[in-house]
Amino acid sequence: MARAPTTADAFNAIAEPRRRHLLMLLKESELPVGELASSLGLPQPATSKHLRVLREVGLVYVRQAGKQRLYGLDARGLRPIHEWTGGFERFWSESLDRLNDYVQELRREEQSNGS
Amino acid sequence: MEADLNSESTSEREIVVTRSIEGPQRLVFAAYTDSSHLSNWWGPEGFTTTTHSFEFRPGGVWDFTMHGPDGTDYPNWIEWLEISPPERIVLRHGSHSEDPEAFTSTVTITERGGVSEITLRSVFNTRSQRDMVVEKYHAIEGAEQTLGRLANHVSALLRPTTESGD
Repeated sequence: MARAPTTADAFNAIAEPRRRHLLMLLKESELPVGELASSLGLPQPATSKHLRVLREVGLVYVRQAGKQRLYGLDARGLRPIHEWTGGFERFWSESLDRLNDYVQELRREEQSNGS
Repeated sequence: MEADLNSESTSEREIVVTRSIEGPQRLVFAAYTDSSHLSNWWGPEGFTTTTHSFEFRPGGVWDFTMHGPDGTDYPNWIEWLEISPPERIVLRHGSHSEDPEAFTSTVTITERGGVSEITLRSVFNTRSQRDMVVEKYHAIEGAEQTLGRLANHVSALLRPTTESGD
């Protein structure tokens, strides 16, 4: 079965707490690296490094705005994560809905059998 | 304390799903004990199962095929590792007996005031294995529409202002 390395990469990227923090900051608005660094309390080079990882997996984009380079959150990069939370969990949550219905059936059967 | 086989923490390798069930613990447990019960609820809406063999005892196997709403068949293989009525079942779930992608699930059922709570905790060997299995489930589910909607929703939330045509 074919693996999709980029899927794993997005998960790896957000496994780092400071990178998740960056995504939360970028959720609000586009920001230059300097502001991100001071919000994080990290040196600018370290912040740039985290941003590079996030860009490589498509979670963050950068654009030139005049003299500034602005970073932003790319929602498309979050797709593998949504696929993960949606797929497996939904499978089981729907199964358990059906289990709930079936237990109601079992209860009715018990009652009608007068046990 | 149990030793982990790898450096990834369990939380990175597991998926936990919890659900309330209107009914006593013993009936929730009973729904697992026979393939004639399981076939009534196993799988999302629109799925059916065909059981090839079933033996509900530690070391016993449920060998079955899931049929998706689009007609696709998915082989399934479950080995019951631990059976502790009426509250706990541990199982190994894969697509065949030697499936290297098989994962271990623990089913826990508790009850309070006639209402049960069921928790499924699935632990994968590695994080990448978890992702792989999840991909497969995603394919099984054909949840493309839901995900598309979700992705749109997220896009709308995350990018309320940018309409740039770059």
